[in-house]
Amino acid sequence: MPQRRVRAIIIGGGLAGLSAAMKLCERQAEVQIVSFQFLKRSHSVCAQGGINAAIDAKNEGDSPENHFFDTIKGGDFLAHQPLVRDMCFQAPAIIHLLDRIGVPFNRTGEGRLEFRRFGGTLYSRTAFAGATTGQQLVYALDEQVRRHEQNGQVTRFEWHEFLGLVIDPQGICRGAVIQDLRNNKIFTLKGDAVVLATGGPGQVYARSTNSTVNTGAAATQAYLQGARYANGEFIQIHPTAIPGQDKLRLMSESARGEGGRIWVPRTPGDKREPRDIPENERNYFLEEKYPLYGNLVPRDVASREIHDIVFNRNLGVGGEPMVFLDLTHKSREFLEDRLGGIIDIYRKFTGQDPKEVPMRIFPAVHYSMGGLWTDYKDDGHGLIDHGSPRNQATSIPGLYAAGEVDYQYHGANRLGANSLLSCIYTGLMMSRAVINFSKNLGERFEDISSTVFDDAERYWTTRMDSLRRMDGKENPYQLHQDMGSLMLANVLIVRDNKALEKAYYGIQEIEERFKDIKCVDTTHWSNPTPSFINQLYCMIQLSKIITRGALMRDECRGAHFKPDFDLKQPSDFDPYEYLDYLEQKHQGEDVPEYAYPAGHLDYMKRFEENNRKWLKTTIANYQDGEPRISYEEVDTSVVVPRPRKYD
Amino acid sequence: MGRLRKDQFHLLLIKTHSLTGLIPVGAFLVFHLAANSLRTVGVWQYKLSIDLINNLPFLIWIEIIFIYIPILFHSLVGVYLSFQGKLNVHRYNYGRNWMYTLQRLSGGVIFAFLVYHMGTTVVPKLLAGKEQFEAAPFLISVMNQEFQTLGGRVIYMVGIMAATFHFANGLWGFCMSWGILVGAAAQRNASLIFILFGLVLTVIGFATVVEFSMNPIEVQATVPESF
Amino acid sequence: MEDKTVIIKIRQQDDPDSASYWQSFQVPCRHHENVISCLQEIQRNPVTLDGQAVIPVTWDCNCLEEVCGSCTMLINGRVRQACTALVEHLEHPVVLEPMSKFPVIRDLQVDRTRMFENLKKVHAWIDIDGTHDIGEGPVMSDSIRAQRYALSECMSCGCCLEACPQFTRDNTFLGAATFSQVRLFNLHPTGALAKEERLEAVMGEGGITDCGNAQVCVEVCPKNIPLTESIAEIGRQTSLKMIRDLFQK
Repeated sequence: MPQRRVRAIIIGGGLAGLSAAMKLCERQAEVQIVSFQFLKRSHSVCAQGGINAAIDAKNEGDSPENHFFDTIKGGDFLAHQPLVRDMCFQAPAIIHLLDRIGVPFNRTGEGRLEFRRFGGTLYSRTAFAGATTGQQLVYALDEQVRRHEQNGQVTRFEWHEFLGLVIDPQGICRGAVIQDLRNNKIFTLKGDAVVLATGGPGQVYARSTNSTVNTGAAATQAYLQGARYANGEFIQIHPTAIPGQDKLRLMSESARGEGGRIWVPRTPGDKREPRDIPENERNYFLEEKYPLYGNLVPRDVASREIHDIVFNRNLGVGGEPMVFLDLTHKSREFLEDRLGGIIDIYRKFTGQDPKEVPMRIFPAVHYSMGGLWTDYKDDGHGLIDHGSPRNQATSIPGLYAAGEVDYQYHGANRLGANSLLSCIYTGLMMSRAVINFSKNLGERFEDISSTVFDDAERYWTTRMDSLRRMDGKENPYQLHQDMGSLMLANVLIVRDNKALEKAYYGIQEIEERFKDIKCVDTTHWSNPTPSFINQLYCMIQLSKIITRGALMRDECRGAHFKPDFDLKQPSDFDPYEYLDYLEQKHQGEDVPEYAYPAGHLDYMKRFEENNRKWLKTTIANYQDGEPRISYEEVDTSVVVPRPRKYD
Repeated sequence: MGRLRKDQFHLLLIKTHSLTGLIPVGAFLVFHLAANSLRTVGVWQYKLSIDLINNLPFLIWIEIIFIYIPILFHSLVGVYLSFQGKLNVHRYNYGRNWMYTLQRLSGGVIFAFLVYHMGTTVVPKLLAGKEQFEAAPFLISVMNQEFQTLGGRVIYMVGIMAATFHFANGLWGFCMSWGILVGAAAQRNASLIFILFGLVLTVIGFATVVEFSMNPIEVQATVPESF
Repeated sequence: MEDKTVIIKIRQQDDPDSASYWQSFQVPCRHHENVISCLQEIQRNPVTLDGQAVIPVTWDCNCLEEVCGSCTMLINGRVRQACTALVEHLEHPVVLEPMSKFPVIRDLQVDRTRMFENLKKVHAWIDIDGTHDIGEGPVMSDSIRAQRYALSECMSCGCCLEACPQFTRDNTFLGAATFSQVRLFNLHPTGALAKEERLEAVMGEGGITDCGNAQVCVEVCPKNIPLTESIAEIGRQTSLKMIRDLFQK
């Protein structure tokens, strides 16, 4: 008898979903992959700058260990260290794999991989394909999945939407309820494991760099069905995006990695054309404040500085909330070759050519460091035990998560070009976990009573029907807009508890208004509105997780910045003082005040105390309609958490 | 296997269509226009060319195999191809799309012209039987008649223009489909060369028409007295 | 800039089998606003020009920055992405129609499955031994990389097919996007190992020979992919293969 094949259901066809599908096929699994649209159109195509791997192609002395430390430090020490370290050690192999499957990475004179610099590091470790790296990676992986599809191992459910999980009475996930977006029929897929690879929740905000499908609804649905959601409040604000009405289009960090400079005129409200403003009247505020990292400070730092220069110092370009991102000192050929993709985007949406005129940009909601809580098993040596079925498993057995939808790799702030890596790494890494989990299952999905599936299907048929019949006064799309604006106004770069409380009440009001929705489309063919109402419900729940988490976390960490709880790092502080301090404490010595410059010891004590209290993962559980927040220890077994500093 | 055969047949059909457009049909067009243009050089040279051609051994077989069958084949496949597409130059108003459209239209024009042209020349010649007359006086008298009216001149000029355009543009298409031209610049340069080539052919053709229209030839025995 | 309004006229269709009809809407239009924003506005306030409350228009979109290819439609009769169609640069009223060469699903949504099936037909992938770590990829010059990159930007939006006079709903023509992918994979050292198979796939009915060289594809390609060069290059590769097969096999 031929061996029974493991059947995995993958929800989402971006980088994480595609790489999981590819790897699972290679491990002889049968894969069903569900996506809103053709996999090739997934949001991962929007990633621009590149993907990190410490190959040290430029002989700068880079290593996976450095990559690991930069990532952990960039994330303000909130990420589990063995996982991040394992990812960084796997990164070179991942890049070579991508190269082998045909990703057109830029190359050196010798015909090998070219690397460029990115934020939060001093090394050139970002491999890139022009300025559309994400798109190129998606295509290459999509092609591999198509190859397996041709072998009959993959079934694509494109134009299908994930509605909910099928969970048996033992609490094990046995499949997914999905809806055909064409004929609006609802049915279940049965499998040994379900992988959520559904990306981030940018649509919770009215404007972001995210695609329209990034509602976070799938992850929220899992949360509503009992999965834990972690670190929701850590939302990355990308420092450079093109302001716009419908979307804030990303202007990749690679623009700065390739030498782009951020500046504002020194005179507030200066109306001159940028090229008429002489060098000495320009304020290159990042370079001035952070001489070491300059324009390539991590994203949370850059976004805060831009926010500060615009709103606190009123130096925004022409008095508007914008700063210049200047590439005009670079040659046209160089820009076309290295950054063509993003230059085209800027030109098409603003009518101006960045090769001639500095771009006008502003920070925008970009990425969620938080996501579904997932597990892992380390090997005791600071890396991961790859055979463990716990890796990437959510708190619901049989449900796995990969990519932006999980929470583990970026701590409190993600470094540029690490997201493509974490998506592909998790997708590949989890496949063994899924296989091992499935093989050890006592009961297979075939053994489960069909009523479990029928009930789930019936629940969703009824639910979608009731949404279709909603006949109140609120337009769901308008309500979404209102919710997004509320989040944008109150839960962004600079946070304070009053605004957060206001936002939380605001969301509860939105939830109230939700009950009075009118389903503006009641047809039964290719009708997007009931789905959208369902997604909106999920987004409301998700915005509560984000806001409640932010409200409760009284500290500054990475992207979560509450000035009221700033530890006020002395400007001449050196992070090594802190290591020294810990060392002395560890040896039981008294640490005398005079051993450090004035105020440093106090700061270090504050820092230590703050970490004791807040260096924890936020966990949200769904309970009685609200997120219940608890905290969990972070694995800091490899490097000691210490104050961040980039100047 | 069945599918493969069908595909191979299709490939053969299209490639042959492309090839016949160049050789022999296109080559014949050039030869025909060039030979007739002897009319502009002198009457006896022109007559001589007609007699030379018409006294070739196995002429009728040469004509059938190298002219009539290839033209018919090229036309029929061309019609089939035209029906594969749907013109859209009104929406996408680009130079090359115009060429694409004109290529198909000119094909139709040429076909109609050929029916007329052969109807007035080849068919009576065949009906009359070769032994009954000398070719040159007969054909010359036909041509005299054709070019007496403005309508006749217009028909010939349109026919010539359609043919030279179709051939010159077809040559460019030939170079594309056989992969002789690849780079965008090469494609552009070649199309300039082919435009020039087409113009030269047109001028040659028109010159003959003008000569015929202005100076009808007296019909007489071909071989000069002095022979 | 002052807020203005704009009239949007849309060809709608309830399902694949029903007849199409037109509806017009008046929506506010701000500076730098694109067609998608107008459609979203209609979603939020689905009232026609003559004041009738209707079901909102449906369309496909995702990235809104012209890298996903979803929102392709006919705008004032011409195929392009709705996200990069800035309303202030368009002739008014703005007329929206679904693509005409693909089956309509509903309103502005069409089914472009044919494009993806074509990718399967031409073996549009690179065969690898496995995803495990077996070292670096092939060494490749940056100029070959640059050529491949230009081709690899194809987002399967379908503009080239919509505008191609040879590509119709009833024939099997593969179209420029597909030929360009053949070239892309034949350019890769490992991909070239399956070159013959790919060429064979484009040498039949609907293949490269059916291209009429109208070259509209390259004019409408939003990513400026050198599609006509790809067509000619595949013409060359298939011609050489044909001659080789003729005299070698």
